[in-house]
Amino acid sequence: MTTAASLGPMPRMDGPPEPELVHIRDVIYRAAGIFHPDNKLRLLQDRCGRRMQELKLQTLRQYLECLTTHPQRQAELVALLNEITIGETCFFRNQPQLDALRHVVIPNILQAKSNLPLRRLRIWSAGCSTGEEPYTLRMLTLEEAGGQLKDWSTEILATDLNERSLAHAQQGVYGDYSTRHLAPSYRSKYFVPLDDKLQVNAIARSNISFTRLNLSDDSRMTFMKSMDAIFCCNVLIYFDLASKRRVIQHFFNNLLPHGYLFLGHSESLYGVNDDFRLVHLPGATAYVKGERVLAGGKSR
Amino acid sequence: MTHATATKQVLLQRLEGLRQIPTIPAVLAPLLRYLQQPVEHLDVQKVTDLLSQDKSLAAQCLQMANSPLFGRAQSSQSLRGAVVSLGFHRVSDIAMSCGVLNMLPRDKTGLDPVVFWEHSLGCALICRHLAAKINFSDPTKAYLAGLLHDLGIIVNLWVLPKEFRTAWETAKAGGIPLHEAEQKCMGFTHCDSGRLLAERWKLAPELIEVVSFHHAPEKSVDHTGLVSLVQLADLLCRMSSLNHGYVEKRAVNLREEPGFALLSQHSTTLKEFDWARLTFELDSYMDEVHSLVRAIYRT
Repeated sequence: MTTAASLGPMPRMDGPPEPELVHIRDVIYRAAGIFHPDNKLRLLQDRCGRRMQELKLQTLRQYLECLTTHPQRQAELVALLNEITIGETCFFRNQPQLDALRHVVIPNILQAKSNLPLRRLRIWSAGCSTGEEPYTLRMLTLEEAGGQLKDWSTEILATDLNERSLAHAQQGVYGDYSTRHLAPSYRSKYFVPLDDKLQVNAIARSNISFTRLNLSDDSRMTFMKSMDAIFCCNVLIYFDLASKRRVIQHFFNNLLPHGYLFLGHSESLYGVNDDFRLVHLPGATAYVKGERVLAGGKSR
Repeated sequence: MTHATATKQVLLQRLEGLRQIPTIPAVLAPLLRYLQQPVEHLDVQKVTDLLSQDKSLAAQCLQMANSPLFGRAQSSQSLRGAVVSLGFHRVSDIAMSCGVLNMLPRDKTGLDPVVFWEHSLGCALICRHLAAKINFSDPTKAYLAGLLHDLGIIVNLWVLPKEFRTAWETAKAGGIPLHEAEQKCMGFTHCDSGRLLAERWKLAPELIEVVSFHHAPEKSVDHTGLVSLVQLADLLCRMSSLNHGYVEKRAVNLREEPGFALLSQHSTTLKEFDWARLTFELDSYMDEVHSLVRAIYRT
């Protein structure tokens, strides 16, 4: 892995970042696979600041030591990751990723399956938390129901380890924060008002199944077969390398040959798995299985 | 004769009477020639004087020199200060970048010149960044190669604006690469027209190959490494917001590109390279490039 020291000059907001902050960025990337580019370093500093306040630490150097040499460093890393991902969950969280799904990935999948008798699209939201992601995916496929997904059935499988999160997801009631990126047309089409909140309506709930699943449960993971696309955003960052490798291998086995794996924004599989290949989509990245020519692969 | 072949002939005819295409600003040629000398022969005052001859170019250079994209720790108020702290090599990169900007027509119908310049500048920066990270054998040429790779688009914008606009709109509507649409609509691509201009300008042989083959690095003869580096950097730009002003609807696996295998011969670390991290790092570049280009274009 390339270290920060070897990088060329990089953009920054106001002066060079503190070396300790760059080091913390690298610690997080190595341990959790989530990367903070230079224009997000201030955000990372803010998150570290919250932890430092909690721990009553004065300097980033002290906090770096806490993350690297302290006996409780693993627990501290988890606490920092919680700060980093807090408030991440909302509808239409990663618009470029969703646009790429709609305009590139789904057409590629449909083309790959065009000769099969069963016209079915299966998408798995692995680690769906309180449900915003699977409902977003459902709304997106419903928008295409009269277009490219005409005559296709869509199944969304939504799984999470946390029962309380799953109960929230099944209830489908959301406040302003979760719905902040929701376009007015989606609000009216797929939600009904409930007090001062919004509840997902019956159309957007259709064809989604919510199930409790531990991604480390090898016997159950084996049965999540025939997926066209898997979304697993900001979930694997909490796994140690060995567990992460096992989960990724299950994803690999469960995806159909043309399938796509999506991770969170700035989340990487580097050093975790050699079978998946990184692909660049417009404004987003994803992973596909092995070496093969994708649609448009001959164009340069 | 097909429509496309007819257009290619028109291109050749119009290129013959090349008066419409602006050349590199007059001040740049002597400056770049001067900067090609060994560093120990260079004089800061002479470089500053040469740049100062064109006030608008000097102002643009100072603006770029103060961008974090060029590694400045502190902003400089004077051109001389910028030359001292950036070094001659970066000054040459910056001056050439401003030169390309000044060659663009101001017509914003079709491919917006601002968007084109963002793409060129972005590609130059990514080439430089990538070359450094993969220990590319000749990193000093990377920036200029990235900057000039789409020279043919400037030719097309000046010489066949209507036909090029149709090609660009076709590419945008289909979400396909621009060179495919050019081939379909005009019978040639910006690689062909760029080559004509690059040869006329007597650019360095490696730059002529980059301009001609950055969509087909396997056709490159003597400079496959550099051409391949540009091919991959260009793809990364086109899949990001530093594209040609529209979204290409496709999935790109860089490892399957011919440039990847060819570049591997010029870099020992490419096979293990962390492309995901590079892609995330580029997020910062994109923001900076957009704001820098817009600021300069207003001046």
